[in-house]
Amino acid sequence: MALARYILRRLIFVVPQLLGILMVGFFLVKLIPGDPAVLMLGPNATPESVAALRSSLGLDQSIVTQFGVYIGHVLRGDLGISWQSTRPVLDDLLERFPATLELVTLGLALALVIGVPLGIASASERGGSVRRAGDLYGLLAGAIPDFWLALVMIYLFYSVLGIAPPPLGRMDIALSNPPFVTGSMILDSLLAGDWEALHSVLSHLVLPVVTLGLINAGPILKVTQSTMLRVQASDFIRYAETCGLPRKVVRRQAIRASLPSIVTIVSVLYGFLIGGAVLVEIVFSWGGAGQYAVQAVLNADINPVLGFVVFSAVFSLVVYLLVDLAYFMLDPRTRG
Amino acid sequence: MTAVPTSKGAGPFAGVALSSRQGGAGLARQLQALAAILRWRPLFALGYVIVIGVAACAILAPWLAPYDPVTANPEAYLQPPSWQHWLGTDNTGMDIFSRILYAPRTDLTIALLGTGVSALIGIPLGAVVGYYEQRSRLRAAFSVTVMRSADVLQAFPVFVFAIALVAVFGQGIVSVVIAIAFVNIPIYLRLMRSQVLSIRGMRYVDAAFVAGASDFAILSRHILPNAVGAALAQLSINIGWSVLLTAGLSFVGAGVVAPTPEWGSMIATGFQNVTTGQWWPSVVPGIALGITVFGFALVGSSLEILADPAQMRLAVRRREAR
Amino acid sequence: MTETAAPLLAVEDLHVSFPHPTGNAVEALRGIDLTIARGEMIGVVGESGAGKTTLARAILGMVPRPGRVTRGRATFRGEVMTELEDDARRAILGRDLSMIIPNPRGELNPVLTVGEHIGNVLRHHRGLDKTAARAAALDLLRAVAIPDPQRRLDAYPHELSGGMAQRVVIAIALACSPTLVISDDATSGLDVTVQAQILDLLKQLIRANDASAIFITRDIAVTAHFCDRIAVLYAGEIVELAAVGTFFDGPRHPYSIMLLAAFAYSAELRRHWTRPEGEEEALPPGGCSFAARCVRRKQRCLMERPALRAVPGGSAVRCHFPVGVAP
Repeated sequence: MALARYILRRLIFVVPQLLGILMVGFFLVKLIPGDPAVLMLGPNATPESVAALRSSLGLDQSIVTQFGVYIGHVLRGDLGISWQSTRPVLDDLLERFPATLELVTLGLALALVIGVPLGIASASERGGSVRRAGDLYGLLAGAIPDFWLALVMIYLFYSVLGIAPPPLGRMDIALSNPPFVTGSMILDSLLAGDWEALHSVLSHLVLPVVTLGLINAGPILKVTQSTMLRVQASDFIRYAETCGLPRKVVRRQAIRASLPSIVTIVSVLYGFLIGGAVLVEIVFSWGGAGQYAVQAVLNADINPVLGFVVFSAVFSLVVYLLVDLAYFMLDPRTRG
Repeated sequence: MTAVPTSKGAGPFAGVALSSRQGGAGLARQLQALAAILRWRPLFALGYVIVIGVAACAILAPWLAPYDPVTANPEAYLQPPSWQHWLGTDNTGMDIFSRILYAPRTDLTIALLGTGVSALIGIPLGAVVGYYEQRSRLRAAFSVTVMRSADVLQAFPVFVFAIALVAVFGQGIVSVVIAIAFVNIPIYLRLMRSQVLSIRGMRYVDAAFVAGASDFAILSRHILPNAVGAALAQLSINIGWSVLLTAGLSFVGAGVVAPTPEWGSMIATGFQNVTTGQWWPSVVPGIALGITVFGFALVGSSLEILADPAQMRLAVRRREAR
Repeated sequence: MTETAAPLLAVEDLHVSFPHPTGNAVEALRGIDLTIARGEMIGVVGESGAGKTTLARAILGMVPRPGRVTRGRATFRGEVMTELEDDARRAILGRDLSMIIPNPRGELNPVLTVGEHIGNVLRHHRGLDKTAARAAALDLLRAVAIPDPQRRLDAYPHELSGGMAQRVVIAIALACSPTLVISDDATSGLDVTVQAQILDLLKQLIRANDASAIFITRDIAVTAHFCDRIAVLYAGEIVELAAVGTFFDGPRHPYSIMLLAAFAYSAELRRHWTRPEGEEEALPPGGCSFAARCVRRKQRCLMERPALRAVPGGSAVRCHFPVGVAP
């Protein structure tokens, strides 16, 4: 079957890529100055205890051996231990990745809701002002740093108007977290039937989601607009016009033909934002995976960095598989 | 940008493409076309004004700035905008207006150097890779290796990668330049490769090949001049993007070291004050940063239209539609 | 009651021009006059760039931007197509006036099946529901003699051969029994044998519908077999307009003779009627548009633009010195 072949080809392609990413990540982090053993034991450690720790961590072996050992562990599902949190990286990530995922998914959903209709409207032949507004929005959204927009939001809605909660995490500190099931606070508080928690979670989500949504609507708008323009000038839309089909029908055909490009840009943004939302996470003390990884890089804590890289690579893989599925449904030519 | 299927019959501007093969007369035509674009969309002209303005700030900062950008005045910390301090002072009492004027020295230098280095490496490499693809075994293997490496680099989360690079080379301007160069190389590599692949299939390249021209001659004389337009447009857009990345790196503390005036680190410095209501130390540098990136994006968009005959036609069509 | 024989389509003094950034507009059509009676088939021939496709699009009221109609009009059954409102035009196109396009595989929507393509037109112009449209589409596929029509109904354009796609486009064009069909180089991309089949089919279906047709083509042979009248287009002007028999018996315009010479593969004729190579120079505007390539040009041809005028024998010619006509 064509689809199975498609997926298989994708998977074969991904294994060496994943290995490459791990290799680059491994050697890159190893190059960062700073001996983890020294950092872990503190400045007062004796050379003997440092040496002992180094050998127990395998740091006294050659770097190639270390990489081999690491890959062996990863294959068994062991991502090592973070010396910062002294917890298994897998546990840390399973806790933080959903936080990032929830934020990014909602942010992108909002970006789609803003970007696609604006993009379609700004590609239409009529309505010059809408078009110019769309163009301007695309350029502005690409020029504004998301962390700055987040700060402005906090200033306006927390400091001045006082209607937003303080930017300190995913929910009110005074409340207790709903029991961990999916990692999505919305779903978890729904499952627990904890309405107070749900309210707090939602109110904490508003500002970061709006920030990500407003910024990322820019590229979605641009892609939608340029694709729609191209499609509207295409032979088959012109043919549909000569057939005298109603404007609504022609428009629907054009939008349909633009969908693959929109799916692609969303998937690219999705993959990017898993690590790229880190600045917004920091501003809102979100405790997400990106923030975790950045903290780890700055402290030469290799396992969390690599763990994060593995997670985001696998996530991208899943997203791209979904994209292939979407193409498969959208374009009959890929089914041939 | 893929080519737009065009209607039968060459439209206006059909012959106007960003190509340096036409020599001096070509440049005049390019400028004419650019003028036409700027007349069509005056907003693009604003982009050029912004870019020149920001560059002027960087050069003239010592004469324009009322205060020294790195001298703290503990007695005048966190002052709101006033006649003494037009844009207020930050939490160490440094004058924000002066720091904003000085900031492009850091930000623009990093962005220009970073994108410049990546373009200098990425453009020729991409051209060679595109040219060698589907050639003899060794050359094709080279192409494939380079492209797969680019895949790996791009699959890496950009921000984590950049921070790691800065961490490896130690905090400072040079490290940020290296990081920006690294994350941008694949962009040029891909762009040039696709351009070269499409141009390589053209008849005149075949003709040169049959006539016995060397690879180097074909690349430098026939392919590069026609492919480089799109890369130049990308360059301008990337400068803006690199300014954003620089600021982001500084914001998490992996970029420029305080107190060097830099927009990102200024936003970070003012971060804590925002929650208590002092907006100016963060908000104002962000506006300066946004305007700069906006300017480069506008310039890039105008060059992009200039480099793509199909877009040029669309542009004309839209102008006529009004 | 006597009905004045108003033509089905009347093109009057139609001018279309495309603006150019240098400021000089390109005149694609320069005063076309043409009428088509009910049931008539007319052939429009000319080389590429003569304005054939622009003429077709102008009649549909769809001059490609940035071009526009600068003077004159095309009137179809009393509706001025060149000035019609968008919605009013949509109600006419595809129903009363339809177009057959060349290379249809690239012009059909890749994500719609054959059945959906035909069904769309039937639903919007004849108000059929989905099932009725599907049944009618199947009948149409049978009418255009597509093998295995039931299966083709659910095929996508990329699964069709060029000839089959052409038949589908004909089915779409004839779905609502139009009174005028414009065929723009409809068979140019096909094998010669398929071409003949398709043209025969097309003629037969148009006759069965009692419709009129405009055959736009570069192949003058097509007009000889299918048309009642022939219009020769050169540089945006009609240079000769005649009944097919009259035209092939005695072409009056030097350009018509050049076309026929090329068509007849007659080296001698061609040599006789073509200026020596390298001698075709650019002439100042204001004269006959064909003067630069004409072997018979005289001083007057450079100074004065000829009008389309009737000559003995029933043809109309745009030439100061028509061939075979005493001055």
